[in-house]
Amino acid sequence: MPPRRNNPWTLDLDPDLYGIDLDPSDFGSSLPLKKVPNGDIFSASRAGDVDRLRYLLESGVNVNARDQWDSVALYYACLAGHLDAARMLLESGAICSEHTFDGDRCHYAALNLKVRKLLKAFEARPPPLGPLQTALRETFLGCGGNRAYLEQVESFHHLSGVPFNSDSNYEFFPPDVSFIIQGRPIEAHRVILSARSPFFKRKFQVDWKDRKEVRFSKEKLSYSALYCLLHFFYSDRLEVAVDDMEDLIRICKVCKCDSLLRILEKELVHQKYAQYKALGDVDNSVKRFILQGVSLPEEDRLPAALRRMLQIALANSTTELGQDCDSNDLHLLASKMQINDHMDDLADICVRVDKKFFRCHKVVLASRSEYFKARISRIKDFGEGKNEIAVHTLPFLEEHDLSMEAFEKMIEYMYTDCLKDIDPDQAEEMFDAASRYLLFPLKRAVADALLPQLEMVPPAELCQWLILSDMYGVIKIREYCLDTIACNFETFADTREFREMLLTLPPPSGDSSLRTTVPSAPGAAVNTDQGNLLDDLREKWLEAEAAELDKRDESALLFDKRLEMLMIIAEQEKSDETEYPSSNPKGRRW
Amino acid sequence: MSAQKKRNFQIEAFKHRVVVDPKYAEKTWKILEHAIHEIYNHNASGLSFEELYRNAYNMVLHKFGEKLYSGLVNTMSFHLKEISKGIEAAQGELFLVELNRKWADHNKALQMIRDILMYMDRTFIPSTHKTPVHELGLNLWRDVVIHSSKTQTRLRDTLLELVHMERSGEVINRGLMRNIIKMLMDLGSSVYQEDFEKHFLDVSADFYRLESQQFIESCDCGDYLKKAERRLNEEIERVSHYLDARSEPKITSVVEKEMIESHMQRLVHMENSGLVNMFVDDKYEDLGRMYNLFRRVPNGLSIVRDVMTSYIRDTGKQLVTDPDRIKDPVDYVQRLLDLKDKYDKVISLAFNNDKTFQNALNSSFEYFINLNARSPEFISLFVDDKLRRGLRGVSEEDIEIVLDKVMMLFRYLQEKDVFEKYYKQHLAKRLLSGKTVSDDAERSLIVKLKTECGYQFTSKLEGMFTDMKTSQDTMQGFYARFGAELGEGPTLVVQVLTTGSWPTQASTTCNLPPEILGICEKFKSYYLGTHTGRRLSWQTNMGSADLKATFGKGQKHELNVSTYQMCVLMLFNNADRLSYRDIEQATEIPAVDLKRCLQSLACVKGRNVLRKEPMSKDIAEDDAFFFNDKFTSKLYKVKIGTVVAQRESEPENQETRQRVEEDRKPQIEAAIVRIMKARRVLDHNNIVTEVTKQLQSRFLPNPVVIKKRIESLIEREFLERDKEDRKLYRYLA
Repeated sequence: MPPRRNNPWTLDLDPDLYGIDLDPSDFGSSLPLKKVPNGDIFSASRAGDVDRLRYLLESGVNVNARDQWDSVALYYACLAGHLDAARMLLESGAICSEHTFDGDRCHYAALNLKVRKLLKAFEARPPPLGPLQTALRETFLGCGGNRAYLEQVESFHHLSGVPFNSDSNYEFFPPDVSFIIQGRPIEAHRVILSARSPFFKRKFQVDWKDRKEVRFSKEKLSYSALYCLLHFFYSDRLEVAVDDMEDLIRICKVCKCDSLLRILEKELVHQKYAQYKALGDVDNSVKRFILQGVSLPEEDRLPAALRRMLQIALANSTTELGQDCDSNDLHLLASKMQINDHMDDLADICVRVDKKFFRCHKVVLASRSEYFKARISRIKDFGEGKNEIAVHTLPFLEEHDLSMEAFEKMIEYMYTDCLKDIDPDQAEEMFDAASRYLLFPLKRAVADALLPQLEMVPPAELCQWLILSDMYGVIKIREYCLDTIACNFETFADTREFREMLLTLPPPSGDSSLRTTVPSAPGAAVNTDQGNLLDDLREKWLEAEAAELDKRDESALLFDKRLEMLMIIAEQEKSDETEYPSSNPKGRRW
Repeated sequence: MSAQKKRNFQIEAFKHRVVVDPKYAEKTWKILEHAIHEIYNHNASGLSFEELYRNAYNMVLHKFGEKLYSGLVNTMSFHLKEISKGIEAAQGELFLVELNRKWADHNKALQMIRDILMYMDRTFIPSTHKTPVHELGLNLWRDVVIHSSKTQTRLRDTLLELVHMERSGEVINRGLMRNIIKMLMDLGSSVYQEDFEKHFLDVSADFYRLESQQFIESCDCGDYLKKAERRLNEEIERVSHYLDARSEPKITSVVEKEMIESHMQRLVHMENSGLVNMFVDDKYEDLGRMYNLFRRVPNGLSIVRDVMTSYIRDTGKQLVTDPDRIKDPVDYVQRLLDLKDKYDKVISLAFNNDKTFQNALNSSFEYFINLNARSPEFISLFVDDKLRRGLRGVSEEDIEIVLDKVMMLFRYLQEKDVFEKYYKQHLAKRLLSGKTVSDDAERSLIVKLKTECGYQFTSKLEGMFTDMKTSQDTMQGFYARFGAELGEGPTLVVQVLTTGSWPTQASTTCNLPPEILGICEKFKSYYLGTHTGRRLSWQTNMGSADLKATFGKGQKHELNVSTYQMCVLMLFNNADRLSYRDIEQATEIPAVDLKRCLQSLACVKGRNVLRKEPMSKDIAEDDAFFFNDKFTSKLYKVKIGTVVAQRESEPENQETRQRVEEDRKPQIEAAIVRIMKARRVLDHNNIVTEVTKQLQSRFLPNPVVIKKRIESLIEREFLERDKEDRKLYRYLA
């Protein structure tokens, strides 16, 4: 497997800034590079040993750690000019922002303009966050009160790369608590804060139980520091001005964010020395410190925190016992369960799937899935809203056509971005749930989990997967199936299920001469992203079988004829089957 | 095999595979269609979001997206047609209310529909490049409701009617207006522009054209401007309340055009209240208003500026050519300064310190100050007056302010060299008579002149100051050496003036009395002893003397007189009666000066230390003079001034002129040579312009004079005419 992935982003962001363009060949190593089979991340970066680096990163090394000379791995990669290593580090979340200690050093140390341009390109992009963190971050920034701060900061030191649609009054998910510090608001959601900080958890259980607004009158409490901390709670990425760090440390002490506190205290000491090592005051911009979630121990990161929340909530969720209660009883039951008031899970919504009541958190559901966002905000408008029984019960949603196991898996993914031990049998339902709830990252995650299993399946089943992946738009699986079929076309032609499938598919686009003379024209098909299955299959087949370009037309024609023949056979088989329903179709060969 | 079979079975049995029911799509669509109807009928609370979403999702999943989409378009169009009918049926004022209500309903329904069909919105629509649901809803509303034949014009007319009502002072429902306009904007800026803004601007133009016509017939300029300003603010406020912010420049430009631009000339020249009257009556507020309004329209300010310029020129011209004014130079300059102050104030208070206005003011002053050829002289006299006595007891800052103002006038002068001539004369008088009030003020003015005109201009003036200083030192040295030797004799104070720096006339030295002559000779030998190679000549016409005199009854007085007067008086030590001729012979003072000096000694009351026979005002050749024994005065010190003409008399003026013209000749020649040296070949016109450019900081050379100088240079073979082209001059050597 080649060391570079396909290029999802363009590097020609500002071509006037640097006259050079990065092209893929720059990422190939020009020299036979040293291998450091036992090296740590620093020596691997310095040597440009991409394989070792990948191994280390996959095993979960903190990409932003500093060695005894106060340098991060990215610094070495930049210094030595290893574009591919630097890129790998950056994609794993290495910090390269300007006005940070490490970032400035990397920029300064960059061997040549290409390295610098790579750094610039990454700096301009949104920080590499997981889907969960990205979604929650957007929710946090979507709150009206929080946006003001961001805009102010942004105008301060042009933090580009924060993609932000301002026309999002409809995207906006309302906060359930707001803090007023030094006269300025920060809006937040209880469950997130509780998950991240024992202090907030206790406060929300006791003192602030029913309060929508909390005013802090202490002068010492810094608005910007608290804002940074809350932003960190949502996104697992801390970005704080060095001047605010002492305030932040005080807040962390109160909030009992111990692991974060430890890092910050260490960093504060470091920053004092860093001033001497800094490149002098070239500009008087605010020095920042950026911390990625990966620098924290696993259990202190956002997914783990939310997993704990979820586990408590799941433990409180109940399965319905009775077999056939009508809907009124159901609600009675639901309310019984909810009045039980396990407030320790802070659940604010209840979802019934199949026979189970799931206690969930609106903010997580809404942030992850636009469906739930709309659903929750539309509770009043539609029929479901009437079902509320008592004031104290939670709002109540019901989801049909879904098994509770699948739902549980799905919310687990929604809370933690993590999909554990997925059963291939469940995969289809998960695809369904993912596309239904507009959870596109889940689809990819399931596909990744499923892919290794597909190598084992027989042709007949592969056809099923092809149909499914086409329907749900799981491109990875679809490509895999098409590749497999094209490469082993004759095997499939012999399979009855394949021939049956041909009948159900829409016919390939007709005029083959037109298409084949311009084989790669993107506008040839009406649907650019996902075309006709058989067209794609033909394309794959041509790639695999007909190597000669000048014979493509002939080959394509050949393939079309072959397909037609197969279809005729399939028709025959079908009519045979209706005539002789007793015959065993599976065993039949022709 | 069995495991595989099982899995296959599972997959096939999964719900979606069952959808082979050919009527499935039809059935599902019916459910959704019903739901859309219900949503529009406000019955959504009976629906299940989850179920509807699931149905829509399944339809798209099973490739019935096309059907769903077209169904949506049809259903929505159907409802909008119904709504449109309802709106059309609304009577009178209810029309807008109904429209607004339905719009809100539609928006809400649209959002709900969009949420139900979210899956389609996210997947099917982008991949098929169709219009997203929300946009589709807006487009349909626009096409079906707003652009329906009955509503379109009615809506526009109603809105315009409301605006008209508000302009006429009635209160309208601004909230409703805002909502409706917002609706038009939401439907796309082109809808707002086509359906409302365009017509709004047309109607507004008509309205203001009519209104401005009425106003201009009935109001004076100030009132009209007030009204126009109010209207303009009203429109801006209207925009901020319920129109698109982008309309503001458009509507204001309409108001500007109709209310200001088309009446500009009439306003400015309005009888009894136009611009000129505002200047006369110091109406700063009205002026400011006019400035602010006229600034908004093209050429507005230039009209104001032109009127101002011509008015200032007229006033200024009257001032400088008024024969009464010329009698009193100080008052003349003071009036100029007042005029300048007035317009400076207008420009700073009302015209926002506009640079172009300042320039216009400056050019006007430059124009009329130079109309009177005596302006340089008068300005110098004004300074002289101020520095002689006007500034006593005035703080330094005030002196600076007065001097700055004078410098301003100086800048307007074209004939700066004339000013220099006079200034030198006046300064010399001040210095020699010790009349100057403040050395600091004198020096500061010289510094100002230096920054204005360069080192050359003031070098001689500075030389005068240096001479004063060195003279003091010389006198100290002289007395240190001879003090004891001289004893009780008269005290001599000599000022050694460098020839050339001072405006000296080569005058004949008068005969000094012997008492003085001795010490003068002593000084002369002392001075020449220390400075070899110099020549001293006595300027008796410029000195002064203090005399002690004893009159009848033993009355003692100290007389402060000029050197000439001293010479005359000293004669009376030895004689009581002297005739005019005697005196003339004894002193050899030039006749004009002698007459003047005798006049001041004999004819001025309170100062008449001499008696004249016959008693008459004027001095005749055969008059006789006596020592006036009966002279009395309350003061011990008596200052006997010379009768001096403050202003120059006409012949003197002519003389100064001539001298100035003489001085200019070498300057012009030098300039010509400088230019030709650089250019080698140049034609006549270019030489004239170049010379003018080079010299205009000092004076404005006359082309005729330049021509004469060129000719003279050709004669002296500095230049020659080109052989072929007679217009070209060529530099020789």
